[in-house]
Amino acid sequence: MKMHVAVHPRVFRFRPALLPTVLVGLMGIGFVVAVIRFVAGIGAISNLSNTYPWGFWISFDIYAGIAISSGAFLLAAVVYVFDLREFRPLLMPSILTALIGYFMEVLALMVDLGRPERIFNMLFFQNYTSHMLVVGLCVMIYLAILSVEFAPVMLKRLKKERLAQFSRRLMRPAVILGLVVSTIHQGSLGSLLLIQSAKLHPLWWTPLLPVMFFVSSISIGLAMIIFESSMSSRYLQRGLEAHLLEKLARAVPVALGVYLALKFSQLILSGNLRYVFGSGVQSALFWAEIIVGVAIPVVLFSSQRNRRNPRLLLIGAIILLVGMILNRFNVSWFGIQRLENLPYFPSLMEVSISAAIFSFGLLVFGLAARYLPLFEDAEVTTAAR
Amino acid sequence: MPSIKQHAYLFDATRCIDCRACMIACSVENKVPINDTYIWVTGSGVMGEYPNLKRATMPYHCMHCLAPDCVSACPVGAWYKREDGPVLYDADKCIGCRYCMNACPFSVPHFDWDKGLLGGALMHKCTMCQQRLEIGQEPACVQTCPTGALKFGEREELIAEAHARIEAHPDRYIDHVYGEIENGGTSYLILSHVPFRELGLPEIGPVPVKNVSEAAMSMTIPFALGWGAVLTGVAAGVQWNNKRRAEVKSQTTASIDGEPGGEQ
Repeated sequence: MKMHVAVHPRVFRFRPALLPTVLVGLMGIGFVVAVIRFVAGIGAISNLSNTYPWGFWISFDIYAGIAISSGAFLLAAVVYVFDLREFRPLLMPSILTALIGYFMEVLALMVDLGRPERIFNMLFFQNYTSHMLVVGLCVMIYLAILSVEFAPVMLKRLKKERLAQFSRRLMRPAVILGLVVSTIHQGSLGSLLLIQSAKLHPLWWTPLLPVMFFVSSISIGLAMIIFESSMSSRYLQRGLEAHLLEKLARAVPVALGVYLALKFSQLILSGNLRYVFGSGVQSALFWAEIIVGVAIPVVLFSSQRNRRNPRLLLIGAIILLVGMILNRFNVSWFGIQRLENLPYFPSLMEVSISAAIFSFGLLVFGLAARYLPLFEDAEVTTAAR
Repeated sequence: MPSIKQHAYLFDATRCIDCRACMIACSVENKVPINDTYIWVTGSGVMGEYPNLKRATMPYHCMHCLAPDCVSACPVGAWYKREDGPVLYDADKCIGCRYCMNACPFSVPHFDWDKGLLGGALMHKCTMCQQRLEIGQEPACVQTCPTGALKFGEREELIAEAHARIEAHPDRYIDHVYGEIENGGTSYLILSHVPFRELGLPEIGPVPVKNVSEAAMSMTIPFALGWGAVLTGVAAGVQWNNKRRAEVKSQTTASIDGEPGGEQ
């Protein structure tokens, strides 16, 4: 077992000064493009059209972005519901990832919505048959909950010990409420597609979409925690909680197995299994997602030797994430059948918006890792051992 | 036409000559640029082999569904169905999320892609010329149509007329009135001599596509309450169990060491 190398936050140092420069540059480009959008309209910077009202932003920033924010609710459940305290060192970085992830989603929505200045209309005019309302409210509520969950770290940094103590006591109720909200949010992104039964390819459309989304978000969350911890240990010079990651990785084949069983039994029962071959690009995308997102990770994470190898652990997590992000792209973009056979490919400016938002997130995480007691739980546990 | 209970259009593709006068009329009546009217013409292109050539066209616009999916989908309730037929839009509520464009199985609502923050991007679609309905006139496209391909009136009567036309000329028409049952019924009824998909119309069953979505929606709150209760129960159970274990452990330690045990 690899031991902790506890490094004090103060000695953190970004190895390459190049990276922050590139990130800030990308943010600058994105800012300029966003200004063009706010002056001249969404059509001026994107290839979106009446045929493709949703495109790269929705698939990448919203569908993939929310999926990879699922590490927070998983760890919150592990630590606060199942009381497995050994996982605490991983908790705050995951909550921060989700907090930043959800904030990134809001930024993306500000560009993507036609009338971003009216976002709070969702609080005043509510249509209770709309899954979009659920998605919107979940984002708002979960952002608030994540802020509460992250408050202890912030307050500690600000040396408000009393308040920090108080905020820690809010943790458990906040976590349970957060679990409910994020479960619904993950599922409701699937529910959004229920109404597109006439458009979404039968390989993906099913009344079980919300369930599929939630179940797959569990494996995505596990992979994301592994990915994020591995990257932090590489680039922020911190110890790797290899034994914890190994334990989390054990759950991956289980979570993916449940997902796979659900997916195929649904296809068989609905009679749509026939589409898995011979539906051209759709069949190919389906198999790509199943092989990369499910089959390879299951095989890789089933062996303990692989799970104990930090390199393979990281590689497996990346493969799973790529496959599952493809799944999110499939359901929200590639799998949607259009009446007109027009091609859509995102414009460079469209991608630059997402790149800028992503850079922003990465930079904020880096700064937080440097200036906030984000990993302090790690030292506590190391000392206690 | 205040006596009408459920306004509807009947379009007969065998009578359409692709003159696009309906688009001009729509553009003028609704004060929208000609390339942005609420009507767009779809069609089959030239079909068949010489000398048996066929070509069909159709002015495509909002179907004014009886169970509209845009109304179900809009988060802020900007879309609504008026009792006498038209599906209408409250521009003040709209946040521009464009979910209605995805939800609509006919992909009808269109968006202002060229408007920024000051311009105020909104959704657009056919309103059944509600301003004309109010003063007892037909929609502009219907009034303008030179061949009578478009007709406006009471939905039930138009359905009866459509079937009568099919019966009178079974050789001329496909034996189906599109919109009679599609998506739970629409207020734009279509007769055609070519398969409806050639006119750009999707194949949609009689059940409104919003039904599954709304069924899932009705489960959200019960699920939230149930899930919250389960999680609270599990958390409480695990805590109680851990506490008990710690107590048992400290008691055993105490009995061995002869002093109160340490921390959990």
